[in-house]
Amino acid sequence: MPVAGMTSNTVPWELLRAAGYFPVMLNPSGEPTPVADRFMEDGVFSARIRGIFDGITSGAWPFLKMVVIPRTSEQEHKCFLYLREMGRQGLSKGLPELYLYNLLHTRSAEAEQYGLERTREFSTYLQADDLATAIEESNRACRAIRKLLAFREGAEPRLSGTEALALIGAVYFMDRAEYAQLADEAAADFSRHTPLRGPRVLIKGSPLHHTGLHRAIESHGAVVIAEDDWWGSRALTQEIAEHDDLVRAIFRAYYREAPSPREASNEWFLARSATVDGVVFYLPQEDDVLGWDYPGLREALDQRGTPSLLLREDAANDLSSECHQRIAEFVRKLDT
Amino acid sequence: MSEKQLESTVAAAEYQKDWFAQLRRDVFENQKPYAIVQADMPLELFQAMDVPVVSNQWWAAIVSAKRLSPMYLDCMNGRGFHDGLCRYCSLPLASTLCGDAAPAPWGGLPRPALIAARLTCDCIQRVFGIWSEAFGTEFIALDAPGASELPPRWWELSRHRWHELFEEHRLDFMVVQFRKLIERLERLTSKNFDPDRLRTLMDGVNRQEEYFEEVRDLICTAPQTPVRMQEQVSNVMATQWLRGSEWAVSHAKRFRDEVKARVGRGIAACPVERLRLMWIGAGLWHDMDFYSAFEAEHGAVFVWSMYLAFGPDGYIRYGLDDPLKALASRTVSMNEQLHNPPWANEWIVDQARQHRIDGALVLTPLGTRPSATGNRFIELALERAGIPVLPVFADMADARGWDPAGMRRKVAQFLEQRVAPAVAGRNGD
Repeated sequence: MPVAGMTSNTVPWELLRAAGYFPVMLNPSGEPTPVADRFMEDGVFSARIRGIFDGITSGAWPFLKMVVIPRTSEQEHKCFLYLREMGRQGLSKGLPELYLYNLLHTRSAEAEQYGLERTREFSTYLQADDLATAIEESNRACRAIRKLLAFREGAEPRLSGTEALALIGAVYFMDRAEYAQLADEAAADFSRHTPLRGPRVLIKGSPLHHTGLHRAIESHGAVVIAEDDWWGSRALTQEIAEHDDLVRAIFRAYYREAPSPREASNEWFLARSATVDGVVFYLPQEDDVLGWDYPGLREALDQRGTPSLLLREDAANDLSSECHQRIAEFVRKLDT
Repeated sequence: MSEKQLESTVAAAEYQKDWFAQLRRDVFENQKPYAIVQADMPLELFQAMDVPVVSNQWWAAIVSAKRLSPMYLDCMNGRGFHDGLCRYCSLPLASTLCGDAAPAPWGGLPRPALIAARLTCDCIQRVFGIWSEAFGTEFIALDAPGASELPPRWWELSRHRWHELFEEHRLDFMVVQFRKLIERLERLTSKNFDPDRLRTLMDGVNRQEEYFEEVRDLICTAPQTPVRMQEQVSNVMATQWLRGSEWAVSHAKRFRDEVKARVGRGIAACPVERLRLMWIGAGLWHDMDFYSAFEAEHGAVFVWSMYLAFGPDGYIRYGLDDPLKALASRTVSMNEQLHNPPWANEWIVDQARQHRIDGALVLTPLGTRPSATGNRFIELALERAGIPVLPVFADMADARGWDPAGMRRKVAQFLEQRVAPAVAGRNGD
């Protein structure tokens, strides 16, 4: 089965699947990125996007037949242009086929119509045939994730944030039918787990494609019960309608539900943060988007009496002892 | 800024100051509406509807040139906006939120009737969202689909064959958004949009840019550059914000006439010109003297920046049967043209050759990410074309990290060690 790489959560998995691809989220391992270092400007691209660029151009991922890049962040569009240029100039050989999926995120009738047209175009381009089966597989995975998320709810969660992030994030790398089965088995197992004690924390910030931050917070006795993040609580949040216009149904799920840095609503966060003991804002040095929301959100939390902590260290690496100390103090404060 | 050699530069600066003072009077005394917009918005639509606009980037440049950016940006950091956030596009917001930190230039921005931006980078809707709340005014956003078809030599298509240059669906989507913006402007002004008026204005823009093209050609062909880069910027940008207007067209002509006369009389901006330099990126608004700092000692003159050069290639559109679509084609890809491969690198190398450039300084702004992209490809292309490059890591609006003396030393070293030897080698010295 040909493999199609995706750079983020807004690539319609179902279209690729229906066209006979094995869609997989591209997620670099954190190894050195010599090609990206040469062509991508420092401080402009996140480590993850640099890793993706490097993986594709260095030939480290020869199994990729195609890479689909959504217009879901400015970095991704630039990455698309850079990849094309590498091919045009012959700076990288054997690049996979590249496709820019022009999904917009403003909430307007025009943007919605434009996105729907681009989705139909993409579907036709791929010759995506069996949409119904692909949607069904995806929906099973969605339901399985919901079951897992349920173990993070309530006064006595049974699933730690660290475990949850790893389990939920796996959906982006697996066959979704198989994922649903394994996640269901895991859920059955978690129902027998001892409830977790500790202050209930919500994370808001840059997408976490690793469990470093969750591990750090939970090592100090808190439980991360949710994150405003497509790798965790906001992965595949809603099932796709399995009837009528299937392409439209797929498009809507991504346009309306999938988080993106270009979608400025904090509705989900504000509702979710009302149910936790504290919030950790995670804005590593590479952030240049959510930092604009931070003062306003912090103020909203202050007014509500919800404590918050801002962390700016990159949690993909080991956090400093000073940072750990700040987390420990914060958790202690929540516990009293 | 160092001495102004051209009368038109003085006139442009005076006009801008008077224009802004009149704008304030109109807003405060006559309650006339005006708008604050991102530089890559279709300013022509506002002008065709008699709504004056202040460009966000122009105001950032003014604030920075008045050396106010450190105070405003420190204040923003104090309010919880971290120091890794983009500064160029948010400095005017800072002047609104942190008005107590220092009095804004020229009395400051009055409350606009609306603010508007194209959503190029991811942060811009947040910056403008916060600003619209602070002003208590409406924010209109134009979304920006990404380009995926980019014929490398775009400037050969942009004037007559712009239909082919940009993807049809992107143009159509932009026109749909324009129509919505026009409806809003019609409600604001109680006037009807007149396509013929827009067409006339677009025609004026073409004439204005044709004058700039003549200036560009004069700079390319004259033995020495007749006009410094910073004076090019002053004259061009004063008119671009009002492009197509009677004043803008006549000022462009006046600028052309003055430059042409200087060439005719053999007047050079720097009579000891030996090395011709190119500045790639936005202007260093907080240190414009930087650009003439290497003339006396090294005979090195900045002859090129995107501000003049982009006018003819980026703005001229022939075939105005559908003026909205033509305007969409001007608006839809400015960022790709100036900052992304393959368009930026291909164009800049072509410009460098035409301008007989000996060395290039490429600004990678640390605090303004969308302007930083494409630079490594630009540098590579220039070096391959035999033009030595000095990358400059600094911010165009934020003076806080700028080391004027250190940077001048670094450039001097670059000129001595790389540019002069390359020129000597070419000349067989």
